Amino acid sequence: MTEVNQTKKSNTIVHPRYGCAIGAINTVAAIPRGIPIANCGPGCADKQYFMLSFSNGFQGAGYSGGGALPSTNVGENEIVFGGHKKLDDLIKSSLKIMDGDIYVVLTGCSIELIGDDVGAIVKEYQEKGYPVVHAEAAGFKGNNLTGHENVVKAIIDQYVGEYKGRKKKGLINLWFDVPYYHANWRGDSIELKRVLEGAGFKVNVLFGSESGGVSEWKEVPKAQFNLVVSPWVGLEIAKHLETKYKQPFLHVPVIPIGEEATTEFIRELVDFAGIDNKKAEAFISTEAERYYYFLEHFSEFFSEYWFGLPARFVTVGDAAYNLAITKFLTDQIGLIPTKQIITDNTPEKHRQNIQKLFHDISDEFPLDVEFIEDGYVIEEKVRNVDYGSSVPLILGSSWESDVAKEIKGLLIPISTPIVSEVVINRTYVGYHGALTLLEKIYSETVRG
Amino acid sequence: MAKREIDLSLVDVENREMRLGSIISWDGSAEELVDNSRYELRSRDKRKSLEGCSGKKEKGCRLCELNMPFNQQTMCTHSIVGCQVGNIPDCILIEHSPIGCSAIHARFNLGYKMGLARRGKKIENIQIFSTNLLENDMVFGASDKLRQTILDAHNRFSPKAIFISMSCSTAIIGEDIESVAQEMEEELEIPIIPLFCEGFRSKHWSTGFDISQHGIMRQIVNKHPQKQEDLINIIALWGTDYFTEILKPLGLRVNYMIDMASFDELAQASEAAVTATFCHTLGSYMATALENEYGVPQVDAGQPYGFKGTDDWLRSIAKIMGKEDIIEEYIKAEHERVLPKIEALRKKLSGIKGFVATGSSYAHGMISVIRELGIEVDGSIVFHHDPVYDSGKSEQDTLKELVDTYGNIDHFTVSKTQQFQFYNLLNRVNPDFIIIRHNGLAPLAAKIGIPAFAMGDEHFPVGYDGIIRVGEALIEILARKKFGQVLKRHVKLPYTDWWLSQKDPFILARNPGILDEVAEPQLLESLTEDASPETPIIKSA
Repeated sequence: MTEVNQTKKSNTIVHPRYGCAIGAINTVAAIPRGIPIANCGPGCADKQYFMLSFSNGFQGAGYSGGGALPSTNVGENEIVFGGHKKLDDLIKSSLKIMDGDIYVVLTGCSIELIGDDVGAIVKEYQEKGYPVVHAEAAGFKGNNLTGHENVVKAIIDQYVGEYKGRKKKGLINLWFDVPYYHANWRGDSIELKRVLEGAGFKVNVLFGSESGGVSEWKEVPKAQFNLVVSPWVGLEIAKHLETKYKQPFLHVPVIPIGEEATTEFIRELVDFAGIDNKKAEAFISTEAERYYYFLEHFSEFFSEYWFGLPARFVTVGDAAYNLAITKFLTDQIGLIPTKQIITDNTPEKHRQNIQKLFHDISDEFPLDVEFIEDGYVIEEKVRNVDYGSSVPLILGSSWESDVAKEIKGLLIPISTPIVSEVVINRTYVGYHGALTLLEKIYSETVRG
Repeated sequence: MAKREIDLSLVDVENREMRLGSIISWDGSAEELVDNSRYELRSRDKRKSLEGCSGKKEKGCRLCELNMPFNQQTMCTHSIVGCQVGNIPDCILIEHSPIGCSAIHARFNLGYKMGLARRGKKIENIQIFSTNLLENDMVFGASDKLRQTILDAHNRFSPKAIFISMSCSTAIIGEDIESVAQEMEEELEIPIIPLFCEGFRSKHWSTGFDISQHGIMRQIVNKHPQKQEDLINIIALWGTDYFTEILKPLGLRVNYMIDMASFDELAQASEAAVTATFCHTLGSYMATALENEYGVPQVDAGQPYGFKGTDDWLRSIAKIMGKEDIIEEYIKAEHERVLPKIEALRKKLSGIKGFVATGSSYAHGMISVIRELGIEVDGSIVFHHDPVYDSGKSEQDTLKELVDTYGNIDHFTVSKTQQFQFYNLLNRVNPDFIIIRHNGLAPLAAKIGIPAFAMGDEHFPVGYDGIIRVGEALIEILARKKFGQVLKRHVKLPYTDWWLSQKDPFILARNPGILDEVAEPQLLESLTEDASPETPIIKSA
């Protein structure tokens, strides 16, 4: 279609880059034997599945997501007469049919608007001792990132419950990627757990293959502290836990990528926790040696590849990945950050701080950071960047495919949605992930 | 046999369950479903109440449904509208809703780009707009945001028409999209088409096809047609263009609708010589509207699958085109051409059992094709069932034709992508493979060792060559059984042993009390205090 001209910023969004709060069904499905129950229209959960799982590296929905997910599929009858009975029937039958350890009801727009008292229905089950939790997830109230925080808080309050006992020194609750939204979340979780354990900690990862499921969630109140590895997602959770369990938290806004950042991350944690650093330092030494063994080999390609390498790059993605990858490429590889667009609708109160974190990355190159959610405007900006003499490098979502083609750039998918790759267990974070990220970027480069 | 009434003066369409008596939950044999559907009776008198199983007069001629207390996520009419009118390259769809309703666009984009490639059109990203409504909009209304987004669409792309789709939330708060559409249509002087497709309105997503087609009929299709005698409308989705080749001897040019069609291609629908489709579930509403309103005849036949289906379909088009003289020779030559290959495939596929799980009348066609290949089919699922189509034509009664031509199917189930039932249904007949459209079911089949042929190109089985294409693909699919067997050995399903042991997939409907007889699941264990010494609280960062 021929484009006419650009309009001023408005409410409009094309090429969406996140789902709605119901997308947090994926947060529940990411807990081993967690069963999400969608209390909303018939298409809501399906659409979030397509955004966050299928069109996001074709991750698959796992045990209880996708087609297995119980849903009230609210119809006209419920809109007129209320959806209590249908939800009650669904919870009752889910407990008998779905083989799970925790069942989380997420209530979407339509039920929220007609004002059903979902809490009262769920409470009856809770009082009988069933592991059922309810969370508000109306799409007009927030996206899948804030939905994720709300679901976690609901599980803490309604399932994990009160705890006034002792803490376990060296045990960490990890609040990190948003499951499924970050296409690499499974691999990231494995790598970060490996790093933390290597440094001498025990860690509740809570989601994915490394999680112990509900028994691990019950350990949450016993952790020495909460670790938030993200610029903003997870802070609400950590603050909630601080109040609820008098549990401190450490906020590491930049996900560590590469040896120097990961080593610094470990040392910060060891210092914060006050644990002995011997194990950590031994681990760092092994990891660093291995890392530079590979980086040395890579450096030969990087130094004398005759056929052109990208230099200037733009990033389009959520705050967490955007910040971490921009820092790694600028600070460790020497690429030039040219435009950084954050697409996750970061809450206003965090924006200034995040901009500062970007600006702190480089004294040499002033970083141009913007918060935009409308794909049309984003793609316009990416198109109009001055990429200098080298091939443009775009680290973004698959929505940037048209503009990448137009400007003959390299598109490396780092943010939702991703439809040009199948993601299984890869990671771009920590020691191992950094090398995989380099492999990815420069494979695309040599492919041309 | 009477044509169904379609009233294009109304902005809205009646739901399928009311208009056609469509059902989404039923179990029996294909023969029983043919009998219970009473296609002829329904086509004679749309409003005539039919006796339901309970003996009571049921409004809307419904077949008796098996209502289950347990449901899994499915799909909605809003999604269907998005994947229909959202796929028109020079028009824009605006989804008047919170952003979650637009979360499927990246998936639509995959199908759309594939479709553009298949039709030889310029491949570029889909452009569906969202008004991105928030909490305040639910309280104060969002008409201004809708106007702004209409202007954005107009200013950015200068589309030839703009569609507006209603969502659950905007329907509940009473957004008047019809008035805004009228007002903006006057201002921008292009058709602005309101579509009432909120997800909760119909129990089956296929009402979304009718809503999309209704909007196009009312506001895009040329009201003063100049006949194009060599033009055939094929109401389709994203399928490969096999129809041009099939229809070449009849000298017909194909006008595919709705996906990837331009505004002008849609407008000329009223100028065509004939309308046909690969699936009456999809196409019957628009074909009938074009016939009623503009006298464009539709095929007096089922669908072009298998030998008999394709023969009848071609004969019907030839008759409308006045080319009956050439068609028999063409049919004969085609049979002779494909038969040796089909015979060879029949040998290779001998003893194999298949299972089809797709949309309604498409499944009837798909089963015809695999039975043509000598594959046994004693169980299948349709995601809904229309007891009659809008045309009311008895020749289009595809289920009856399937049963009459290829015999009964013992276990013929109507179930709207309900994965938990799929386990029991597959176990009942134990097929070697499944053929499937829509998501949610195939992963379960894989986990119990049954490979799935995801029929992404819906035109793949069409015509004589379609039989060969399917046969060859099935040999490749059957090899994947290895992968399924690995999964079966190592992956657990998310269902309880109690449910997996049920023989009847509809037991919850037939015996609702059974849930109370099942043993209690593990109750919540209260947290126990840890005995280890307390760690001093550390101050937060």
